[in-house]
Amino acid sequence: MKEALRLLIVDDEEQFRQVLVKRLSRRGMVPEQAGSGEDCLDLLEKKPMDVVILDVKMPGMDGLEVLQRIKEKYDKTEVILLTGYANTQDGVEGIKSGAFDYLSKPVELDHLAGKIKQAHEKILHEAEREREAEFREKMEQRMVAAERLASLGTLAAGVAHEINNPLAIINDSVGWMQLLINQGDAAEIPIKGQLEKGLDKIVQSVERAKKITHQLLGFARRSDPIISEVDLKQLAEDTVQLVEKEAKHKEIEFMLESDPSLGKIWSDAYQLRQVLLNLITNAIHATGSRGRIEITLQKDGEMVVLAVKDTGQGIPQENMERVFEPFFSTKPTGEGTGLGLFVTRGIVEKLGGVIEAESRMGEGTTFRVRLPRAHKGDERSEQEDHTNWVEKPTATTGKMPSAGKGPS
Amino acid sequence: MTREPIKILLVDDEEDFVEMLSLRLKAVGEEVTPAHSGKECLQVLEQRDVDVVILDVKMPGMDGIETLQEIKRRFPLVEVILMTGHGTVESAIEGKALGAFDYLLKPADFNELMEKLEAARKKKAEQPSRLRQKN
Repeated sequence: MKEALRLLIVDDEEQFRQVLVKRLSRRGMVPEQAGSGEDCLDLLEKKPMDVVILDVKMPGMDGLEVLQRIKEKYDKTEVILLTGYANTQDGVEGIKSGAFDYLSKPVELDHLAGKIKQAHEKILHEAEREREAEFREKMEQRMVAAERLASLGTLAAGVAHEINNPLAIINDSVGWMQLLINQGDAAEIPIKGQLEKGLDKIVQSVERAKKITHQLLGFARRSDPIISEVDLKQLAEDTVQLVEKEAKHKEIEFMLESDPSLGKIWSDAYQLRQVLLNLITNAIHATGSRGRIEITLQKDGEMVVLAVKDTGQGIPQENMERVFEPFFSTKPTGEGTGLGLFVTRGIVEKLGGVIEAESRMGEGTTFRVRLPRAHKGDERSEQEDHTNWVEKPTATTGKMPSAGKGPS
Repeated sequence: MTREPIKILLVDDEEDFVEMLSLRLKAVGEEVTPAHSGKECLQVLEQRDVDVVILDVKMPGMDGIETLQEIKRRFPLVEVILMTGHGTVESAIEGKALGAFDYLLKPADFNELMEKLEAARKKKAEQPSRLRQKN
């Protein structure tokens, strides 16, 4: 895969240039020409070059000066100097200034063609190395992010657990006090109303903290999906129904469009509902009164594409990269946990899919989830982490082995 | 209220939790015996008639799952509701398979807990009488 070589010959002798151009063209290298250092720099301004063959002895700006200017501005361009006969001084000087090499006139064409090739190879090699370094850096960044998430998960689960216990104590203490101030003599005390107000605030705050810890445990959940046939269209309709009340309030119109050939997919219905619910709820929050939310389901080869599009404000560019981060929320404090999209992405990836967001300010946002239509990640290795969390165990009751029938 | 109190045995190594939940349950008319370890739980069961055990999963020494197994072996009539600060699918499934009535995550909603306690007691009352002779 060789890219075309961009070659420039700079020499004040036109005849010399013509000869070189003709001969090099015959070898498949078609050079451009410049008659002076100044012309050379002008040309480079408009058209980048890979290799410049540069005569040292020129009226006006001489080759060595041109070389320096080239190296200052175009560090990827390689320069081959042509020096006067037996003038090694200029050549050595040029190499010090960054020339690839020098040849003394009269030039032997094979020699020159060889040098051009070497210079070109060096450029290609450098570009390759740069791409590799870039790729490696990207991978490293991704690894770091993955590791950070994994350890964040462990930490989050640990913290959530440690906090749930004191929360439970607060919760039952306050519940008990609420019962007490309504019993016997206590019901008569004049500041009862104020006490109740304070107790209510505690209950609400426990509820708020509980929402966070339980969501964190949900995020740390490493449980295997329970795979079954899922009617995604039905699931989307059901989910819309769940949130319709909230949407009606804002007179939001729902549109559900489904590819008739989609059929059923193999996935985890319970977790997909969570994904749909998160995306649709977000869309409702983003959309103003009388907006529209479009849900589309499309088949794309082995994948299904689920898109939720709103007509909200849109997400500013600087927030786009952060929407999937944990605890990133633009909602007022206490209203959003900042975990919704984070958990959503976790689920989608666990189901073998990807999620992306696209937004235009003033027009709205689309979240697009691509999922495999047939789930292939069923087999799990035995070495896998066995710390599995459930957010709300009662919800999975129906799937558990029937037990508790007593010994037979 | 003529309703029969539910006889509850509350087991958790977190003493404050046992104390406060006991007070709350007693305030709504239930009968609560506290215990702070699996061992203590089994000792109480030997001496007292209990309808439902609320059992913490994570305890030092004999943990909730082990205790559950012992309860089911020696006192099969008693119903058990597992409760923990984190839910693991494994312990939930394991707990169910071992005969736990249900599973709750802390901090549990009190109404939800009451519903489960009531349902667990009802289940216990419906057990065939032949089981009462076992053990």
